[in-house]
Amino acid sequence: MSEFLHYFPQALSFINLLTLVLGVIGGLILGATPGLSPTMAVALLVPFTFHMDPATGLILLGAVYTATVAGGAISAILINIPGAPANIATLLDGHPMAQQGKSQRALYICFISSLVGGLIGMVIMILFSPPLARIALKFGPSEMFWIAIFGISVMAGLSSGSILKGLLGGMFGLLISTIGYSPLLGSPRFVYHDVLTGGIAIVPALIGLFAIPQVFALVETLGHKLERPDFKPEKGILAKTIVENLKMVKALSIGSIVGSIIGIIPGAGGQVAGLIAYDQTKKFSRKPESFGTGNPEGVAAAESANNAMVGPSLIPLLTLSIPGSPTAAVLLGGLLIHGLFPGPDLFITNASITYTFIASLVLAQIAMCVFGIIMSRYSYMVMSVPNLFMIAAVTVLAVYGTYSVQNSFDDVIVMFSLGTLMYIGRKFGFSPAPVVLGIILGPIAEDNYLKGKLIADTDVGVFSYFFTGSMNIVIILLCVASIGYSVYGEIRSYRKAKEAAV
Amino acid sequence: MKKDMIVSLVFLVGIVTLYLSLGFMDDPRAATFPKVIIVIMGILSALLLLQSIFLKKPVTSKGAGFPFGRFFICFSLIILYFIFMETIGFYLSAFLFFVAVTFILGSADLTARKAVMRVVIGVVFTGVLFFLFNVLLAVQTPKGLLL
Repeated sequence: MSEFLHYFPQALSFINLLTLVLGVIGGLILGATPGLSPTMAVALLVPFTFHMDPATGLILLGAVYTATVAGGAISAILINIPGAPANIATLLDGHPMAQQGKSQRALYICFISSLVGGLIGMVIMILFSPPLARIALKFGPSEMFWIAIFGISVMAGLSSGSILKGLLGGMFGLLISTIGYSPLLGSPRFVYHDVLTGGIAIVPALIGLFAIPQVFALVETLGHKLERPDFKPEKGILAKTIVENLKMVKALSIGSIVGSIIGIIPGAGGQVAGLIAYDQTKKFSRKPESFGTGNPEGVAAAESANNAMVGPSLIPLLTLSIPGSPTAAVLLGGLLIHGLFPGPDLFITNASITYTFIASLVLAQIAMCVFGIIMSRYSYMVMSVPNLFMIAAVTVLAVYGTYSVQNSFDDVIVMFSLGTLMYIGRKFGFSPAPVVLGIILGPIAEDNYLKGKLIADTDVGVFSYFFTGSMNIVIILLCVASIGYSVYGEIRSYRKAKEAAV
Repeated sequence: MKKDMIVSLVFLVGIVTLYLSLGFMDDPRAATFPKVIIVIMGILSALLLLQSIFLKKPVTSKGAGFPFGRFFICFSLIILYFIFMETIGFYLSAFLFFVAVTFILGSADLTARKAVMRVVIGVVFTGVLFFLFNVLLAVQTPKGLLL
């Protein structure tokens, strides 16, 4: 905590504050735009941060991450389309409120609750990250290898409908990461073309996998008419709504607690946080039947949970390099291109950058609420941006971002090829997040595997080195539990679908 | 699930090919890690194949047909954009791509007023990019003949 206060003033420098405000405004707009996912928005920005000072670059990514989560609620409330999966619970009561002409109130409640949840989440993050990072200090190659595998298994279960496809995606990512020259031995692997000599860099992969499928998806839905946004401005309700919102102690506390806990568990993801908080608030309510018909408490619970998740989801990311959500996985890419590697180093050697980043995340929560409220009056305009412009703009940004990192046209080809492949993959039920994580964690897994093998060969043998020791067993059990849980979930949904079909 | 069957078969063929190619690597030690991944992928694909044969999921209704024409146009425009990017420069090619996409893919509702608006938005978009990145961040872009 003392380090946090020590570095806090650095976040207040002019350039950092300007970046923060621009990031928040941009994030709110991107989050509110139907058809642009927050993950893609952050992925498109990663290469541009490469040209900035590391702290400023991370502030931009963090601000956009925070604001897109809240911005996604705007389209959920106004046109019944969640901007991100995390906003599904928001539309249950948010959209009925808009239909009753209370859209502005719903938006205010959404931003105020997001602020409350977000700040609580940040406190949890600031308290828990450094001690967890100290535990990570004790990890040797075998534990680090298993941590990388755990990260992939978690993301595999989180993002696909099918755990088998999620794991296949993760393994495919690991395989892609081995293209190029072997890091320890220097011999070429899978270099079938000159383009692949340097291996596949993180930025082209991130952008290709997240942005290109979205461009093609927009081409597919071109011409589909969206629902007209229900928006009627109401005058002078801000003060009243703030008081009303802050009185919803039950909904806000359930939301913030559920969001924080679920955020720490890697892989549980935002959509679950919002839905569980919504469900619990409904159960504890005196009028559960009013939920789903435009009860403001439902919006408050869902949105406070969504934003409470942001801070804690960074705890496993910053300490163990396991992202808690697909967007956090992209953020990991942003850290790595600045040469910042998650773990204890981040809190000791690079403390100045890390704590400035954390401080700016706290400020981003406040900025998100203030600008969200100011912009909510005009937010409906974002909904009417035609997909046509989005297709052109996203493609140009993807190409530009990819090219600018290494001034390499080869990277653009890699980006587009991976993106096209991912688009086909999506048609077959694969999702980009596990692949990206495989590419990011691949070098970590291989490096630690080979180091571990060298140690094991001179010592106790590969099997006992990797499979014994309390820490190894704990992480292996976590891997098994995360895969087992996904298999259980899949069997359950399969049975449900079967019953529904009968 | 017919789709899953196709996927798993494609994966299995790819995996066997890659596994065989590992034998040609200069240093066999460099092949250790990829070999482990390939074997695991093989097992997962086989499981997916078994699942597609024995676990018949209820068929969900299909959406509208796939717009091949539009998709093909977009794909070709992107390829043309790549070809011209390094010769005519980044900003000019970006602007031309922007106009081409909005005019060709959006030809259904193109009016004189909309055409002017799309060109103006294209100019503003590339202008903002130029200002932000070449002026503020001093990023290198392919210069080509023009901008």
